[in-house]
Amino acid sequence: MTTYGWLLFLHITGAFCFLGGAVTAAVINLAAQTRERPSEVAALMRTTQVVVIVVGVGSIMTLVFGLWLVHDVGYGYGDGWIVAALILWAVAAALGGAGGKRERETRFLAERLAAEGDAPSAELHSRMRDPATLAMSYGAGVALLVVLVLMIWKPGAG
Amino acid sequence: MPLELIRPSDWNLPLFVHVLGAIVLVGSMFALVLLALGSRRGSNAAMFARLAFRSTLLVVLPAFIVMRAGAAWIESREYPSGAGEPGWLGVGFAVADPGVLVVLILIVLGWRSVKAGGGGWAATAVTVISGLYLVALGVAMFAMSAKPT
Repeated sequence: MTTYGWLLFLHITGAFCFLGGAVTAAVINLAAQTRERPSEVAALMRTTQVVVIVVGVGSIMTLVFGLWLVHDVGYGYGDGWIVAALILWAVAAALGGAGGKRERETRFLAERLAAEGDAPSAELHSRMRDPATLAMSYGAGVALLVVLVLMIWKPGAG
Repeated sequence: MPLELIRPSDWNLPLFVHVLGAIVLVGSMFALVLLALGSRRGSNAAMFARLAFRSTLLVVLPAFIVMRAGAAWIESREYPSGAGEPGWLGVGFAVADPGVLVVLILIVLGWRSVKAGGGGWAATAVTVISGLYLVALGVAMFAMSAKPT
């Protein structure tokens, strides 16, 4: 198999971990929003801990092997679609990281409430639907979707 | 520049649909594995079983349909006569085509697991089958991306 084949496989594996992991987190977070008991919310949000690792590894793989591919194929690092993808990668990582941090705080709240009687809580209910957190998480998803569009259409590539 | 990088622009949309469907399928299958693991035991087993079943119906099944439809679409553009299809494409179809049966089995087992309130053989079967199919999707992804000869 060629170097290009290996690099593309590793780059796409990273993309599947990054984007697929974001889908996994979204499915579980949406599921958690349907629950009211803190112990159930906490149990669901705990399952996303492994997803965070997958997303993190995937994000690094896409960047490292993506840049390596640019070199191997002979694209320019300054090509518009590559610069745009790099900016959007950084935006997605920043938004996803910030949203993830807020969701971790929500999990800590759910765990505390579960230990204190496990009664439904208005605070937990509103935290689960916090517009800023949701905007960060879904904003990261939209940025990644645009990166995928750029990777397939490669506008301006020779 | 590798020759496989050069493709007609009218292949881009079908490729995007196929890849997007595949990404959502892999992500939702991973979510299903995690939810099914939770449905095997513990005080929240019944909740995990319900959510695993709903995820299969509402996300895994639609994603599978989009992925498979996108695959047929891009195949019709790349190999309109069906002649000269490479081996790696066969690997992709060998994983994708039985997938419809796998997803239907997961739906039936998921429903059985919900009825049992989580736990039991159905929850274990959903965990094992979804995990194995996730591995199979990884093999297909290797064939589709690396295109080994």
